[in-house]
Amino acid sequence: MILLLALTAGLLAGLVWAYWRGHPYQAPELGHLWLVFVAFLPQFVVIYLPITRGTFPEWLVVGCLLASQILLLGFAWLNRRIPGMSILICGIVLNLAVMASNSGFMPISPQTASRLVTEERLLDIQTGSRIGAKDILLHPEQTRLEWLADRFLPPVWSPYQVAFSLGDVLIAFGAFWLLAKPESSIQLKKRGIPL
Amino acid sequence: MKNKLALLALSAQKINRQHVQLVFVLVSLAMLVLGTGAPADGGGVGH
Repeated sequence: MILLLALTAGLLAGLVWAYWRGHPYQAPELGHLWLVFVAFLPQFVVIYLPITRGTFPEWLVVGCLLASQILLLGFAWLNRRIPGMSILICGIVLNLAVMASNSGFMPISPQTASRLVTEERLLDIQTGSRIGAKDILLHPEQTRLEWLADRFLPPVWSPYQVAFSLGDVLIAFGAFWLLAKPESSIQLKKRGIPL
Repeated sequence: MKNKLALLALSAQKINRQHVQLVFVLVSLAMLVLGTGAPADGGGVGH
């Protein structure tokens, strides 16, 4: 949800910026778009699609999730020259590193998870079990690369509670930048648009 | 029927190539961030 919000905010910022500059909005010229669809498909089936989610063995879910992320990293790398993509790549690498080091899922501590679910529900979830779409409940001392885990939270008073990682922050910022300023200064100069 | 087809063709012509490209880019970026990000919110954790 927060990542899609970052995309939406980036698009709105880009549209306003283009309007202010007096030229039409130009979407980032991403190449190899087919790769995103191919890369996301296995993850969509094992994680997001309600009718198939939960029907696959754990090893297959982990395999699909990591393979999907590696392919998405490949897509990002192929488009690394687009402004914002390098930040996004850093975020992908950080998330991939922490997930690969912790059984293929994003670790979240019981203390952080307690802000997202009720205490009774949390007591039902054993340490090392999956929680949410891509997370795994682990104590900080059991977590490898704990500083890259889902450990950040919005203020308590916020109506929307979400736990996110440093990688998520970079992915959100990179996605925002991609859409807010899809053309580099050099490209704008080439098109004769004043900066 | 002919009129309807002509109307459809006219509507299709109005769809700018850049708009189609923008939709593809947005869908791709949505898949990219959903596929690589791993935030956990209250709704997702309940599943």
